[in-house]
Amino acid sequence: MDDTIVAMATAKGEAGIHIIRLSGLKAGAIIEDCFKPQNKERWLTRENYTLNLGVFHDEGKVLDQVLVGRMLTPYSYTGEDVFEINCHGGPFVAQRILQACISHGANLAEPGEFSKRAFLNGKLDLVQAEAVIDLISSRTETSANLALTQLSGGLSDTIIKLREEVLEILAFIEASIDFPEDDVENLDRETLESKIDKALVDTKNLLDGSKTGKILREGLLTVIVGRPNVGKSSLLNSLLHEERAIVTDIPGTTRDIIRESVSVGGILLQLMDTAGICETEDFVERLGIERTWNALKTAELILLVVQANIPLTEDEYHILKTYAAKVIVIVNKIDLMDDDYHIVKLNQKGSWIPFSVIQHKGFQELEVEIRNRVFQGEAVLESDPLLSNVRQISSLEHCYTALSQALLSIQNGLPWDILSIDIRQALQYVSEITGHNVQETLLDDIFSRFCIGK
Amino acid sequence: MEYFAGKYDVIVIGAGHAGCEAALAAARLGCETLLLTLNLDTIAHMPCNPSLGGPAKGHLVREIDALGGQMGVVADETSLQVKMLNTGKGPAVHALRIQSDKQAYQNRMRDVLLEQDRLTVIQGLVEHLVVDNSGLTGIVTRTGARFESENIVLTSGTYLRGKIIIGDSMYEGGPNGQIPAMNLSASLKEFGIELGRFKTGTPPRIHRQSVDYSKFRIQPGDDIPWRFSFLATESQFWHKDTSKQVACWLGYTANQTHEIIRENLYRAPLYSGKIEGIGPRYCPSIEDKVVRFASREAHQIFLEPEGWQSDELYVAGLSTSMPEDVQVKILKSIPGLEHVRMLRQGYAIEYDYVLPHQLSLGLEVRQLPGLFTAGQINGTSGYEEAAAQGLMAGINAARRVLGKDPFVLRRSDGYLGVLIDDLVTKGVKEPYRLLTSRAEYRLVLRQDNADLRLTEKGHAVGLVNEERWKRFQAKKEDFQHILGLWKSTVFSPLREDLQQVMVEAKSTPTRGGISAQDLIRRPEITIVHLVRLLPELGNFDLEVLEEAEIETKYAGYIEKQWIEIEKFSKLESRSLNNNLDYEKIRGLSTEGRQRLMEVKPLNVGQASRITGVSPADISVLLVYLEQQRRGWK
Repeated sequence: MDDTIVAMATAKGEAGIHIIRLSGLKAGAIIEDCFKPQNKERWLTRENYTLNLGVFHDEGKVLDQVLVGRMLTPYSYTGEDVFEINCHGGPFVAQRILQACISHGANLAEPGEFSKRAFLNGKLDLVQAEAVIDLISSRTETSANLALTQLSGGLSDTIIKLREEVLEILAFIEASIDFPEDDVENLDRETLESKIDKALVDTKNLLDGSKTGKILREGLLTVIVGRPNVGKSSLLNSLLHEERAIVTDIPGTTRDIIRESVSVGGILLQLMDTAGICETEDFVERLGIERTWNALKTAELILLVVQANIPLTEDEYHILKTYAAKVIVIVNKIDLMDDDYHIVKLNQKGSWIPFSVIQHKGFQELEVEIRNRVFQGEAVLESDPLLSNVRQISSLEHCYTALSQALLSIQNGLPWDILSIDIRQALQYVSEITGHNVQETLLDDIFSRFCIGK
Repeated sequence: MEYFAGKYDVIVIGAGHAGCEAALAAARLGCETLLLTLNLDTIAHMPCNPSLGGPAKGHLVREIDALGGQMGVVADETSLQVKMLNTGKGPAVHALRIQSDKQAYQNRMRDVLLEQDRLTVIQGLVEHLVVDNSGLTGIVTRTGARFESENIVLTSGTYLRGKIIIGDSMYEGGPNGQIPAMNLSASLKEFGIELGRFKTGTPPRIHRQSVDYSKFRIQPGDDIPWRFSFLATESQFWHKDTSKQVACWLGYTANQTHEIIRENLYRAPLYSGKIEGIGPRYCPSIEDKVVRFASREAHQIFLEPEGWQSDELYVAGLSTSMPEDVQVKILKSIPGLEHVRMLRQGYAIEYDYVLPHQLSLGLEVRQLPGLFTAGQINGTSGYEEAAAQGLMAGINAARRVLGKDPFVLRRSDGYLGVLIDDLVTKGVKEPYRLLTSRAEYRLVLRQDNADLRLTEKGHAVGLVNEERWKRFQAKKEDFQHILGLWKSTVFSPLREDLQQVMVEAKSTPTRGGISAQDLIRRPEITIVHLVRLLPELGNFDLEVLEEAEIETKYAGYIEKQWIEIEKFSKLESRSLNNNLDYEKIRGLSTEGRQRLMEVKPLNVGQASRITGVSPADISVLLVYLEQQRRGWK
C-alpha cells in the first residue's frame, strides 16, 4: 500500500460536478504539482478539512477551476493523506484531471481499493467496510441509499436488537449452568421455547427483507424475449441509450445473448437480450434459440415483447403460461395501430404494457411495474433496514438455522448444555455482523442481569 | 547475614493449593525440590469456602487428577458431603462439589508432602529473588538463608503486600491472620515484572451452636459416593445415610439486614474509597449485592460446616468488609441467627498479582526465564484454579530442569487449557474464575471423560503412576467393549420387557428390531432401562456405562464440536515467530498491535483470542503471513 491511488469518486456520465479522489503518501506532492490555490497563504497553513479554490493544471496547461478538499492522515477516509478534487467542466475535463494525477505518479485505484485501505488502516468496522464496498459496487440510486442506511446505523439497530434477544436467552442458560446454587431466576422450558421462537421470527423477518436488498444491490436477472424483428434490440438499446446489439430489419440477426445492466425505475436490470423465438432449420439460429429457452428458466424477470397488430404465437402463449409470475408483456409497435391495439388477452396472467419504442411510449409504465414487482406493491421506504450483503445474509441464514435447531432441541427435551450449543452458535453468527465479542459480552450480561455470589 | 542454605533443582515458594501441586509434581518427576512456606501449620489452607468443585471447578479437579495431581485424592479422603450438581442440565455440565473437612484436608496434604521423596519442606519467608548475569539463581529468606536454584515456582497467593480491611481498620496481613510477604513485590518489579492489585473477601464465621436451625432449610448431600479421583479413594467422614452426614443449611437475609447495610454504607470501605483493588463480580460482598440489586427482598445465605469436629460455620453469601460491629448486626438480623456468636470477622484482602500476559503458555515469566508463577498470584481465584496452575508450573519447571519443551494443553484438551490460555492471552480485569461458559468445546470437556482426555498425556509427562495407568487401561477397554456390545445387540420387538421399558419411558414403540445403540440414542431412554434389557451390562462400572451413554446419545453434537476443533486447529497451527515485529505490520489497529506485542502469541489462533485484537487485525496478520510465505518484504 505504498503507492498513491486515484479514481473518480462520482458516477460516470453527465453531471454538474465530478469528484476525483486521491489517496496515499504521494497525494500531497501530486497536488502541489498540479494545483494553484487562489489563497496561497491559507493553503500553506496545511489546515485539515478545508476546501480550497484554485486552478488545476497539467504542466502549466489549465484544465479547470476546482475546489480541493484536504483530509490529512490519519483523519481521512482511508487513513492516508486524501485530496478530493471537485471539478465542473464535465466528464471530459474530469478525465483529464484523472490522467494528470496518474502522469504525476498516482495509480488508478482498483475497485474498492479506497475502502480496502480504510479497512486495513482500521478506519472501518466490519459492517461499515462491507457497506462501503456495497456503496462502491452499487450502481443504482436506491441501492446507494441502502448502503448509506447501513452506515448510519439503521440496519445495525435492528440486528443489535436481535443480538440482544439471543444474548438474553444464552445468558439465562449459562447463568443457570455456571451458578446452579445462586439466585438465578429459573427459566422454564415453555418461556425459553417462546423466546427462541420469537428470535427465530425476527431473524426470518430480517432475512425476508434481505431478499429485496439483494435485488437492489445485485439487480434482477432479466430476459428480453420475442419473435424475430419484434423490436427486442431496439427496446434494449432505448433502455441503454446506446447501440450495443446489432439492430437490423432482417430477422434473426441477434444471435448472442448480450449481457448489460440498466437502471429502470431505480432497479438494476441485468439484461440478456435473446435471439428471436421461431422454428428454423439454420443451425446457428437453433443454437441461439436453445439458449433463449435456458435463459428463460433462470431469469427473474421476463420482458416478453409482442407485436400489437399480430396475434400471439404458440411460443408466446407457452412463455406466458409457463412463466406467468415473472413475465411483463410489452405490446410493442402500438404506433402501427390506428386507434387502440387489439390483442386478445385470453385470460392470460401477467402485466400488459402498451409500448412504442419508436415513439418512446410506455417507458414510464414499465418503470412503475418493475418497481412494484420488486417491492411487492409496497412503496420503497428508503430508511428500511434491508440486508444487502451476501456475507451478512449468509451469517443471518446460519443464525436462523441454529435457532431452528435450538427450537427443535428444546421441543425434543434435550438438555441445556446441548441447547446452549445452538444458541451460542446463533449468537456467534449474529455477532459476526455486529462485530461483538461473544465471550466478553456474555459474562457482562450475566453479571449485570443476575445477582451472583454465594 | 546471608548464608548458603542449599541447592535444588526446583524451589517452590508458598504451600497453598498451587504450591502443593507444583512441589509434588516437580519431585515426582525426579527433581530435588524445596517447598518454602510461611507457616507449616497452614499448608493447603482453605481460607474461604470449606468446599471444592462445582461447575468448571469440579471439572478441573478431575483433570488435575487425570494428570496425576493430588487435589482430587485428598479431597475425596476428607470429604464430609458430596453432591453432583446440574444433573438436570445435561452431561457436559454435571459437576461434582464436595464439602471438605478443612483441617483434615490440610493435615492429609501436609503428610503427603512430607512423605514425598526428593521433596524438602521448610518454613521461611522469602524476601527477594537472586538474579545474576546468567539469570535467575535463587532466593533469600528473611532469616538470611540463600537457597540456590535456576527454576523457581512462585505460588504466593494473596500474600504479596497483603492488606486486610475491616471497616475503618486496615492492616498489613495475609489471609486468616497470617503474615504477608511485604518485600517480594519490590523484588519482582526490580526485574521488570508488572504487578496489578486485586481485592477479594470472605464472610464471617459463626458458632454452630448459636443457630436456630428451624429457620433454615437443610441441604443434604447425595447418597452416592461421588469422587473426584479416578483412583476411587474412600472418605474417612462420608456416610451413605444422608441424615448422618454433616449438613449445610439454606436461609435468607431479611429487609432489616438490607436496612442495616444501607444505614452503614458510609462506613463501608468498598464505597469510601479505602479499597483500591478490583474485586470479582461473581463473588460480590453483601453490601455490593444490596446496592446493585436494590429491589431484591432477600439474598441467599448458606451455612457450611468447616469440619467434622469444628464448631465453625462458614456463612456463604455474606462476604463483607463492613466494620466489625456492623457485621454482628447484619448477622443478627438474619432469621435464625438472632443469637449468633460470631467467631471470626469477614474481611476484604488486597494483594499484588502478576499481570498474566507476561507469562508463556507454560506459565513461565517471559522476561525472567526460570521463574514460573501459579495460582492467585496470576490473578485467579479459587483453590481449584490455583492447584491446576500449580500442577502445570511444577511440571514445566521440572521439564526445564530436564531440558524438555514446556507441557501445554490446548483449549480443546481440557479446562486446564482454557484457564491458562485465558490468563495469558486475554489477561484479567478482575480475579479470574473458571466457568464452563468460558469453554467453547464444553460437550467434549466433560468431567466424566477427564481421564480419557488426559491420562495418556499425564502418562507421557511421567506423573501417572502404575495403579492409575492400569485403571485407565481397564476403563478404556470396558468403554470400547460396551460400545461394541450396543452396536451388535438387537432387541426383538416381541420381547415383553422391551415393550414394557418403552411404555415406562414414554418412548415411541418400534415395530422392527432395535439395536441397543439406537435405543440408548433416544433422549428418554437411560442406562438404567438398558441394564434391564441387557443384564450383562451390570458387570461394568456405572461411570463407564454413563460415559458410553453420553458418547452415544450425543454423538451428533460431539462430532460437530470435533469438526470445530479441527477447523480451529488450522489457525492454531499457523505459528507466529516470537521475534515478529508487530510495529512493522502495516494495517494493524493501534490497540491490536499493542496487545500483540504484549502477549506475543504462539500462533494466529491464540492471537485471535486476545482482547483488542480485531478480526480485521487477524485478516491483516493472515495477509502478512501470506506475504511472508510468498517471499514479499
